[in-house]
This record gives sequence, C-alpha cells and structure tokens, in this order.
Amino acid sequence: MAQRQETTQQRPLPNPGWGPLSALPGNPLMWVLILSEMVVFAAFFGLFAWLRIGEREVFDASQQLLDPVAGGINTLVLLTSGLFAALAVQAIGRDDKRRCRQWLAGAFALGVVFCVVKVMEYADKLGQGLMPETNTFFTFYYLLTGFHFAHVLFGLGLIALVAWRISHDNVETAAAFWHMVDLIWILLYPIIYLLR
Amino acid sequence: MRTPLATLPSPTRRLLITWAVLMGLTLVTMLSAQLGGDARLQALPLWSAGLLLLSTAFKAHQVLMTYLGLRDASAAWQGAFIGLVLFTLLLVASGYLLAQLGS
Repeated sequence: MAQRQETTQQRPLPNPGWGPLSALPGNPLMWVLILSEMVVFAAFFGLFAWLRIGEREVFDASQQLLDPVAGGINTLVLLTSGLFAALAVQAIGRDDKRRCRQWLAGAFALGVVFCVVKVMEYADKLGQGLMPETNTFFTFYYLLTGFHFAHVLFGLGLIALVAWRISHDNVETAAAFWHMVDLIWILLYPIIYLLR
Repeated sequence: MRTPLATLPSPTRRLLITWAVLMGLTLVTMLSAQLGGDARLQALPLWSAGLLLLSTAFKAHQVLMTYLGLRDASAAWQGAFIGLVLFTLLLVASGYLLAQLGS
C-alpha cells in the first residue's frame, strides 16, 4: 500500500501547469467536455426515469415499439469502433502513421455502420407515425438518441480530420471524444431500450 | 506454448481483453433483458433489471479506465468520473423501483 502511494506520488503529472486538470491523461479540455456531456446526459436520464414513474404504462408500451436488437448491434459496433480508435492511439504512439490511419479508417467505417442502423431505425419509427410529439417516451427517445447521433456525426468528422492532419495529440483528442460517444451509448441503450 | 494474445504488448493485450469483456457483457445484457417472444411484453424480474444496471456500470467503468485511459489519472479524478456514472445509474434505478412499486 505504502509502496503504491509512493509510486503514485513519484509519477510525473501528464499535464503539468493545468491546475486540477494536470492529473488527467490526454487533452485536459477534452476531459472538461466529457465531464460536462456526462452531466447533461445524467440529467436527461434522471428526468427520463422520474417521468417514467408517473407514466409507466405509456413508457413500457412505447418501448415495445423499439428494436432492442438493432440497439444491441449498434452497441457492439460502437464498442469495436472504440477499440479501433484506441489502437490508432497506440499506433501513433509508436509513430506508425500508416497503421494509425488504418485503425482510424476502421473506426470511421464502423461509425458509419452505426449511423446507417440508426437512420434505418428512425425511418421505421417515423414510417409508423411515431413522432417526437407522440408521447413523453418518444420525445425522450428522439431527444436523447438524436443528441447522441449528432455527437456521432461530429466524432466522424473529427476522425476524418485527424486522419488527414495526423499527430499524436490530434489522434488522442479525437479518440477521447469517440470514447465519450461510446460511453454515453453504453448508458443510453439499457435505459431507453431494455429497462422495463 | 504462448497464445497469440500473450505475444502482444501489454497495453494492446489489455485493450483486446477489455473489448472482449465489453462485447460479452453487452450480449449478457441483451440476454438478461429477455428480448425474445412473449417475455418482452412483461416487466423485467428484479434480478434481471439489477444485472442489466450492474453490467452497464461495469462497462462504463471499463471504457473510462481502459479506453479513455483514466487508469493513469489521479484517484480523485477516477472517483469523480466513476461516481458520476454510479450516481446516474442510481437515479435511474431509483426511478425504476418507484415505478414498479407504484403499479
């Protein structure tokens, strides 16, 4: 225990000069973004759970209209895309730009697969006349998944940009954003699609 | 005889193991949510809802620690991020339980 404390104290700070953020790895500002996004989604998830108390039948009946298998497939796709992004960071750490670009391309391609599945899901729901104003559940469904979808699109743009302007900091920052998108979906999927 | 996984550098091995665990837990989550047949029309048993939220918490922990590299951050930051995930899931679990009790 004492040895572990000693090791922790001796380890140099990843970002010296950043005050309380000095102890975070990667770009400190990305962590500020990650924390703020997590707080926003936490508030929405809490509100969703709170409103479900008063409208349980509506929420459960509406949830039956979603496709949890498509959501599960998208979870697997996004997790694998996250792995590729993490491998891209490792590759750029070895200064292997070619391999880094390959992993980024893989992460990007799987991100596109996520989008295709999501668009098909939206088309199916809208085709059934299920709109954001249909009921409270669908307001939250479109709001939360739509907000997340916007992050996926932004993340794809970021991955494309850093694959072009490749550097260790750029790749690490884009990968951190991509993992945040991953993290939010990991929380969103069971709350919206599965818990009943 | 060393397995192909054992020949990989330690950080890569850790990433691959984490990925495999995350994929496995996602499948467990889907199974525990009983997506097939008439079971989908029923409310989840309490154990199943609990398993779902626990595996979600563990997956979020793994993404933070390994994918995002929070393992290298200070204990205070680790606690802040993991605490926020747990708080979120606690909110959801409380709402879920209250809804079940109210029906």
